[in-house]
Amino acid sequence: MKLKRAINQVSAIAKTDFLGVLRNKTAIFFTLLFPLFFILIIGFTFGQSGEEAMSRIVVGVVNLDGELVAVNAADSSNSTIGDLFVQALETVNFTVHGYSEYGDRDTNGTAAYAISRGDIDAIVVIPANFTETLSFQYTNNLGAPVPTKAHLELYVDPTDTTGALITQQSVFGFISGFVKEYQEVAIEQAPPDMKAYVEVLADPLTVSINEADITGNDLKWIDYMIPGTLGLVLIWSGLNHASMTIATERTKGTFQRMVIAPVSPMVVLLGKLISALALVYMSAFIMLLSGVLLFQVNLYWNIPVILLAIFLGALSAIGIGLIISSLTKNEEAANSISVIISVPLQFFIGAFFPLSIMPAAAQAFGETLPFTKLVNAMQKIMTRNLAFDAVIPEILYLAVSSLILFLLGTIAYRISLRRL
Amino acid sequence: MRRVIRLNDIEVNSVTKRFEDMVAVDNISMSVEKGELFGLLGPNGAGKSTLTKMISGMLNLTSGTIKVGKYSIQDDPMRVKEILGVVPQDIILYDYLNAKENLAFYGRLYGLSGRKLKDRIKELLQFTQLDEKAVKRHVSTYSGGMKRRVNIAAALLHEPQVMLLDEPTAGLDPQNKHALWEIIQSLKKQGKTIVLTTHMMDEAEELCDRVAIMDHGKIIALGSPSQLVRKVKMENTITVVPDKSSPKLIEIMKTVSGVKSSYIAYDETEKSETLKVITDNPDDILPDVVPRL
Repeated sequence: MKLKRAINQVSAIAKTDFLGVLRNKTAIFFTLLFPLFFILIIGFTFGQSGEEAMSRIVVGVVNLDGELVAVNAADSSNSTIGDLFVQALETVNFTVHGYSEYGDRDTNGTAAYAISRGDIDAIVVIPANFTETLSFQYTNNLGAPVPTKAHLELYVDPTDTTGALITQQSVFGFISGFVKEYQEVAIEQAPPDMKAYVEVLADPLTVSINEADITGNDLKWIDYMIPGTLGLVLIWSGLNHASMTIATERTKGTFQRMVIAPVSPMVVLLGKLISALALVYMSAFIMLLSGVLLFQVNLYWNIPVILLAIFLGALSAIGIGLIISSLTKNEEAANSISVIISVPLQFFIGAFFPLSIMPAAAQAFGETLPFTKLVNAMQKIMTRNLAFDAVIPEILYLAVSSLILFLLGTIAYRISLRRL
Repeated sequence: MRRVIRLNDIEVNSVTKRFEDMVAVDNISMSVEKGELFGLLGPNGAGKSTLTKMISGMLNLTSGTIKVGKYSIQDDPMRVKEILGVVPQDIILYDYLNAKENLAFYGRLYGLSGRKLKDRIKELLQFTQLDEKAVKRHVSTYSGGMKRRVNIAAALLHEPQVMLLDEPTAGLDPQNKHALWEIIQSLKKQGKTIVLTTHMMDEAEELCDRVAIMDHGKIIALGSPSQLVRKVKMENTITVVPDKSSPKLIEIMKTVSGVKSSYIAYDETEKSETLKVITDNPDDILPDVVPRL
């Protein structure tokens, strides 16, 4: 009878708390729609294929090939291979803008002017003797070809380090493919007695770079981002909601009215916990579903482990929220402290950037956070398709930290009852 | 030695509440008989709300004992809460829920469910006099009077024997105030034991069987309203009609030399709330009183 009554009370508190979010536009945005909004942003930013991404790299080409050069004391102006190079750049989907000269940043119409204004991402300068060198036109007195290397110049924008790195890697990848094609043609066209010799010289050492079979799936960038966003959901929905719930009720007096009813404080806490957990799961579900429906994310779905990890992570988040909610004077104070804690926290859980690129102290701090462990575990499960035993350390860490944080939250909540 | 003549629903014995250095309730003893409507009258800060919060179990006692019905609030708080209905001074409802949802929530906290809860909500919605449309609207859209009625209904769901009404008419216009008085009188007719806190003498006079006047955490007078009014009339009273009636006026009057006490009361002749100032020398203090209003 007592149990039935307690269950009735818990469900009344959980339902009312939950309705408080569903009927509050601001709360709906931050708890439920913000994850959707976030997934749309990262989906449209990182969710497209490699070719689409490449089409957004604008390369300025200064093709000097075809200008008059002296080859073996004779003038030459052949542009065949330079033109092929430009055509190939366009074929692999780079956006190519042609310029007649590199120039300088103050001379309108030059490549340097365009990159300084951010109109292009990189400049490739093709030398005047590009075709002549690559077609073995330089010979010695005996008429034998003199090995002469063609030299391309690549300029990137130093003010955009990430963009420069991506552009550089993309252009290098293209050049490597172009060289390979060229070598095959050169070897094919070499005289029969020279063929073996040219073959070795052209490719004396080969290194192949391949992607290891880690995931078993062809993943896009958004697929790597999804597990990280689960950590963010815990912070947005779990920590922020829990930090507001009791503080708001105390400010409005509804908490006091619950206390004067024959309701155990632990029943109130349990009702609040269930409501917060429901919000976290709903928020995570909306985010994952929108990822699947809108961006066709290609992940592995070990549902029991995902649910368990979210549950443990949510307990930690709710524990922190309870501490904030219980120890602050009113909802405004709780909101401010919650923002002060949750906003910086998002950058230390490995959701936006890998922890490895951070300073040692930041890495150490990030590693202590339960949300980082959740992100790690979710990356292993959802992108690497590892089994439960691979995430046992993370799950244990989450279990212990959730126990400690929720216990501290409960103690803070009990203390707050004395301040009514 | 205390002589218990009739059955009491509330017994307060030597109760003190201290907040650090401040004594909010100072060694108070009183009892409220079964079916009695008992008034706690006094200015803001007199200790009325603190005393009712201790009776309801919201605040712990520094010392003393309180019994509600057969149960001690210290030893058996859950039993006390079962038989107690508390109407807080502020309107404490979820503004994003409608009246029906609010009542359902509080009903479930008191252990009601199923058919019993539905019937009780239906009865109390009639009591609140809300029309069909209003019942479905969120409480945030209600007028002050409507909110007050739902606020009281939420305390009646579990049919409590004892009720604590903490300034239930605060901030209401005369029309709504009189409507609420009728509700309180109907509760008394049902045989409920009621403790009503107020800072308005006319309210206490109209509704209460007995009144305790509190100031600085102590009961300074206790008796029937007519006894207390007779006592007040023996002294000189200045009646002032302020531009805006406010409990703050009572605080301001405390700073005027020669003022023994003051209270706010509705004046039928003036058709508005008036400030009653009790003094031995009305002519002397009037020049000091008026500029402070």
